[in-house]
Amino acid sequence: MSKPEYVEIVEKVFDKTRSKPTKEFKYIGKEILRWDAISKIRGEKIFVADLINLFKNPVFVYSVRTKYAHARIKKIDVSEAEKYPGVIKVLTYKDIPGINDVGYVIPDQPLLADKKVRYIGDTVALVIAESLENARDAGELVNVEYEPLEVILDPLKIVEWGGLREKEHTLIHDERGSDVVSRYKIRAGDIKKAEQEAAVVIENEYRTPMQEHAYIETEAAIAIPEPNGGVTIYAKTQCPFDTRRAVAQVLGLPFNMVRVIAPSLGGGFGGAEDVGNEIAAKAALAALVTKRPAVVLFTREESIIGHAKRHPMIARYKHMAARDGTLLGVEAEIILDTGAYASLGPFVGWRAIVHSTGPYRVKNAKIDLAVVYTNKVYAGAFRGFGNPQVSFAVERQMDLLAEELGIDPVEIRLKNALRNGDRTVHGQLLDHGVGLVEAIQKAVEAANWYEKRKLYANQKGLLRRGIGIAVMYHGNSIGAEGADFSSATIIIQRDGSIIFRTGLTDFGQGAIQGIVNIIAETLGVPPTYIKVEWPDTAATPDAGPTVASRSTVMGGNAALVAAYRLRQRLNRLASELLGCDPEKIVIDAPDVYCSDDPENKITWQELVEQSFWKGVPLQEFGYFRAPPAEWDEETGQGAPYMHYTFGAIISDVELDMETGVVRVKEAVTAYDIGRLINKTGADLHAIGGYIQGMGYALMEDLYYSPDGKVYNVSLSTYHVPTALDIPEKITPIWVEAGFRRGPYGAKGLGEPSIVAIAPSIANAVAHALGGGVQVSKDVNKIPLTPDYIYSIIKKYKLLGK
Amino acid sequence: MVETIRVNLKVNGKQYVLDIPPDERLIDTLRYRLGFTSVKEGCGRGECGSCIVLVNGLPRHSCLTLTATLDGAEILTVEGLAPEGKLHAIQVAFLETRGVQCGFCTPAFMLLTKALLDKTLDPSDEEIKQWLASAICRCGSYHYYFKAVRKAAEYLKKGKILFDEKEVRKNLYKLPLLR
Repeated sequence: MSKPEYVEIVEKVFDKTRSKPTKEFKYIGKEILRWDAISKIRGEKIFVADLINLFKNPVFVYSVRTKYAHARIKKIDVSEAEKYPGVIKVLTYKDIPGINDVGYVIPDQPLLADKKVRYIGDTVALVIAESLENARDAGELVNVEYEPLEVILDPLKIVEWGGLREKEHTLIHDERGSDVVSRYKIRAGDIKKAEQEAAVVIENEYRTPMQEHAYIETEAAIAIPEPNGGVTIYAKTQCPFDTRRAVAQVLGLPFNMVRVIAPSLGGGFGGAEDVGNEIAAKAALAALVTKRPAVVLFTREESIIGHAKRHPMIARYKHMAARDGTLLGVEAEIILDTGAYASLGPFVGWRAIVHSTGPYRVKNAKIDLAVVYTNKVYAGAFRGFGNPQVSFAVERQMDLLAEELGIDPVEIRLKNALRNGDRTVHGQLLDHGVGLVEAIQKAVEAANWYEKRKLYANQKGLLRRGIGIAVMYHGNSIGAEGADFSSATIIIQRDGSIIFRTGLTDFGQGAIQGIVNIIAETLGVPPTYIKVEWPDTAATPDAGPTVASRSTVMGGNAALVAAYRLRQRLNRLASELLGCDPEKIVIDAPDVYCSDDPENKITWQELVEQSFWKGVPLQEFGYFRAPPAEWDEETGQGAPYMHYTFGAIISDVELDMETGVVRVKEAVTAYDIGRLINKTGADLHAIGGYIQGMGYALMEDLYYSPDGKVYNVSLSTYHVPTALDIPEKITPIWVEAGFRRGPYGAKGLGEPSIVAIAPSIANAVAHALGGGVQVSKDVNKIPLTPDYIYSIIKKYKLLGK
Repeated sequence: MVETIRVNLKVNGKQYVLDIPPDERLIDTLRYRLGFTSVKEGCGRGECGSCIVLVNGLPRHSCLTLTATLDGAEILTVEGLAPEGKLHAIQVAFLETRGVQCGFCTPAFMLLTKALLDKTLDPSDEEIKQWLASAICRCGSYHYYFKAVRKAAEYLKKGKILFDEKEVRKNLYKLPLLR
């Protein structure tokens, strides 16, 4: 099969610019202010809830949630609620015209509970009223008869160690006949032989928390009824096309009768992925029933109990190494708790197992992973998508190995790190673009690693410092989760301004600005000429979901293909006008000239105007599809992702031995992102990812009562880092090892920026504690709360020694 | 029938006479009654700080304030920082230091900056941190916001309060604008 033209374009651009230093580009890699910054500092109406005033006579929709985390529904009586003043209608599962399901990967999640409730956020009824207050008050009158069932919060009640077999238990998903959502494995080499040959074997158990996204904008959707039974929905969603699919399914409408528009998002981090579908469907249902605009607006409490979280992990790891630190094998059993519904759990589980041995040369591996249901809030997509969990375990293991062998943590990583020409644990050949060693070396130098590591050894005081490193890799794009394609439209307007349409959303991450930079560089026009339209399923092309660190690479490639074709056409026309070879045309808008005759210019506007007269079309559609991933279900062998982003993080912490409080003082992050496309966005992302990862490491977890209620449903009880918690300095460093199928060689950064933060901090804390392998082994769960760290200090009498 | 209370409010320099229910929150008055949507609701409990506005020059959680208690008060939101076509030095500083990401918390951080710089144009690093700890930025732009406060202080010290928006755009992007 011949190579598609779009792949050829991307590769051609890469080959042509491969050796060009980033600083020589005009727009790529520059500190360009994001296109929407001025609207944001003006506080303009760009978020969903800001638009409410624009719609006359709206109704408000309130979700009545279950009182039990696990129960059978005997009866739902809404008659009293419907009599409450201001109430227009109360909907239950019976009122859903289409299919009552918003499950993302598997159909296991009713929009409105019918037979059972499975977690404390399940919606049993929707109250539609003239005001949100009326709707909430009336919600109290919805009478549901429940038959409570055993609440299971511990995934070890679902499966057991030693094969992850499913145990006897009260089934949460009786309709499926099992509470194991999915299983994955890796079988590489000969793990028994590896263990026999190993000089040292390290075994330990790890636990990671259920992290909440805590985006500051809570969920919001506004639905407007349209002619012929259609509906338009403005919703906080990362993936408008997925949201459209879910809404169309619930309403029983064809896709083209549902229009989803995603304005700016006040944060997403993966969390606005499936809850976007749920809120949009609820609003759409109410709009169609009442024939009025319908508003869904979550409070913080509803947001915390009502949207997907990061999967908690429990894992047992066994690492085997030779005396010189060479990794011989990795064996592990990993359990991911997906809560009440699968959501993206199966994909998270898959990404977790792909990354479960870290960015190392591992020839022998035996890994088993199970994603299981419990009665917790459901878990789904969260920046990192399974990788932060396994990376925490793997990177703690590497430090334990180093400690046991008396090798420096940096040295053991350098010894085993993946390099160009190596194969991953899945057998995937990495023939180019592996910048891990360079990232480690640059981070080590910037952090003053060796000096500090020595300086912080054997401290005796009450305030002790520690320094730790962690490394990571992260597969670009969605891999074997599905067909990964993206598309983009660029339309040059008659005055020379440009409209850029993509179905990818912006929730602050900066990838869209990166794509703007790519278009600008390719066309030769300033980014300021380009307007980014809001993603709109009726107007922007389907670019796939805004997930998996795929925007810059996949969205960027699609835009690059479109811009490249436009540029070719414009070059040809300009060559006719200016009388030189098309290859010699320089577009540096507003100037257009031949490289050997810069004085003889025409303007960009003239070129555009001539295009109209000469019949050169100025609108172009770009498409890019990632090569299908290869994955053998039985062995975990293949080529799971098209390429990987690599990184090394070093954290320098201070530990208060009297209180167990950990403060990060300084940090260095070094990522190989192929090519730096958007410097401003990349720096912000490295720093922001660090801060969110620090929250994950030190303070963030969801706490449950035994009956499955969430204790901390507010931001004063669910702690996220504030201005007072952050390190004095976080230094981002960029490595640009290139990637032939990325736009100008770029790879993704969105998720990678959080993956290895927590282990770097935990490793630094273990360093500060001192006390050798035994003590270090106890630093095996996050968050590293003061009481937990103090319990270790006390247990081993580390203070006053 | 719900009884209403008459309240005289000056918002962003303009006088309003409002008849409002006694339990109406200031955030709802500002966002939904008057249309100042730069004021954001992130929690409704005074925890995230996104709803912070300046009441008589001091930061206040508009989600925890009843409008009925503010008769005669002067309120400032981001919409009132600069007239049409202009940008306030604080806005310019926030743009120049490039910390804006999702932008949901940014209005609150700018108003906290305003209140701090009204008090002193030489805030210490610790003071800046303390003031800015009143709001949460989940994207993690804090370091950039600290820089923005210092930059804004520099402008204000030089007496530069209002900037022409077009000039700012031109300087910021250092790139040609179409118009």
